[in-house]
Amino acid sequence: MKQSTDPLLRMSSQGDDVAEQSSNTVAAPTSSSSTETDPTSGTTVTIGATVPTGFEHTAAEEVKEKIGVDAQISKDRGRIYFPITTDKLSQVHLLRSVDNLFVVVAEYDHYQFKESKEETLSELQELASKLPWTNALEVWRLNRTLKKKKGHRKVGNTTKAKSNTEASDVAAAAEVVQHELPEETSAADGDAKAERTPDSETCQQDLDENAPGAKLIKFRVTCNRAGDKHSFSSNEAARDFGGAVQEFFQWKADMTKFDIEVLLNIHNEEVVIGIALTEESLHRRNISHFGPTTLRSTLCYGMLRLCKPQASDIILDPMCGTGAIPLEGAIEFSESFYIAGDNNDMAVNRTVNNICHIQKRRADKGSPSGLPIDTVQWDLSNLPIRTSSVDIIITDMPFGKRMGSRKKNWDLYPSCLREMARVCRPDSGKAVLLTQDKKCFAKAISRMGGLWRKLHTVWVNVGGLHAGVYLLKRTTAVFGQTPEDVHESRGRGDSQMKERDDN
Amino acid sequence: MIPKLEWSALVQAADQLGHREDLPGELVPDYEKNEDFLKKVHRVLLEVEVIEGSLQCPESGREFPISKGIPNMLLNEDEA
Repeated sequence: MKQSTDPLLRMSSQGDDVAEQSSNTVAAPTSSSSTETDPTSGTTVTIGATVPTGFEHTAAEEVKEKIGVDAQISKDRGRIYFPITTDKLSQVHLLRSVDNLFVVVAEYDHYQFKESKEETLSELQELASKLPWTNALEVWRLNRTLKKKKGHRKVGNTTKAKSNTEASDVAAAAEVVQHELPEETSAADGDAKAERTPDSETCQQDLDENAPGAKLIKFRVTCNRAGDKHSFSSNEAARDFGGAVQEFFQWKADMTKFDIEVLLNIHNEEVVIGIALTEESLHRRNISHFGPTTLRSTLCYGMLRLCKPQASDIILDPMCGTGAIPLEGAIEFSESFYIAGDNNDMAVNRTVNNICHIQKRRADKGSPSGLPIDTVQWDLSNLPIRTSSVDIIITDMPFGKRMGSRKKNWDLYPSCLREMARVCRPDSGKAVLLTQDKKCFAKAISRMGGLWRKLHTVWVNVGGLHAGVYLLKRTTAVFGQTPEDVHESRGRGDSQMKERDDN
Repeated sequence: MIPKLEWSALVQAADQLGHREDLPGELVPDYEKNEDFLKKVHRVLLEVEVIEGSLQCPESGREFPISKGIPNMLLNEDEA
């Protein structure tokens, strides 16, 4: 549910003036551009951010903590909005829960679409020239300057070796595409947003050729449409709205090498027009060495926030894969110590490589290196960790579709949970576990009531698959004394014998 | 953090690596306020890495190899 606190920043079309098209558009745009401009902090604008679905609240928490403003959570899942003064723009880029950022040009809570497709599209076209573009464009310009100053962000250095994060991000995009489907808002209509090609290198070159404020600006429109009552497709909306934008600004339309990306987000009656501030998702920022199931950093951050790491906490990821989760933790919640482990050779090697990469990057920037993280190769069912010594366990459990198999999970999950319960500190200990195999997990957890208690579940989307992030609390029971333990350890001996026979 | 460590094990390991410096064999009272001491602990915990070597179990004597900074704690089939 979207709650508006600031009438200046939100516009609703006048519900009763449905027939009067002009009042929808003419009356509305006054609000965005009439906000105060403080000479010291700059104009106030609304920023929109896309975040992993399910983690909207943790993202809003981060915004409150780091920017100091209240964020609104959109009905359109995976999006939050918050107001900032332009001096805070660089801080916004430092948010860890955010995948993409854009500045809102205008937003309509209850946009009344016309009956026919023709009329609707024509109205969208007229809208283009009436929107309050000024402030948003100012932010876009400011944002571009920020990016140039940062240097490492999107400078096209494809010729450099793999040590350049951005280049490897793009190079690995091919791998990413297989496993990370872009989030779509609705299944009602198959329309997807226009292709987003990660052409950041050439894009930057274009920017260099165009000094700020120079004439030939290239743009494109991306439309996300969700809802079953629309008479038009996202492609049609993008095309027609784009045409009108081009007319109005005399910009050049270019699908791949654009300076400005205009966003047209339509979710039922909610229409938001924005300008993108990030070219490529920030979600792969830490990882230079990908594996088959690498989690995006924004999701890792969301999971970490959920368990609220405290200073001196010992945090374990017993199935770390490429180390995405513990690495994000070591960077963002650095007062805890992380131990990343996996049984797989390639996984531990990739983890170490990713850690080294970040350490080097920090050393280059002058930060003290020495991230609070270590990597071990181990067997999840025989952790070389003392009983009751770990404060938090956080991991991405094998899904069965992308890794492992359903049948394997059936046996794996209970033994995992037991060993994790053993090493986890009774009473104060916690676990944050991500899994797509909800059925198997539910069954395993139900047999562990003596050791684990479910506190909260967040439903998320990982690479197009519906998954759950479970926050568990370790009970006060000492391991080895609950009835389930005793039963299980007897059973375990048998299953081990069986495994050997099979070999 | 320090209460969570097995102090004697840490000192012994540091000693064997030749990086003990002058870490005390036992924790002194009020160590939390001793800046100098804390810096030494920080160093030995976070800045000293074994890249190649092995970990030895004090009970069984079983050695676990460390390669490229990664200890391999996997058990063999007959050990499980």
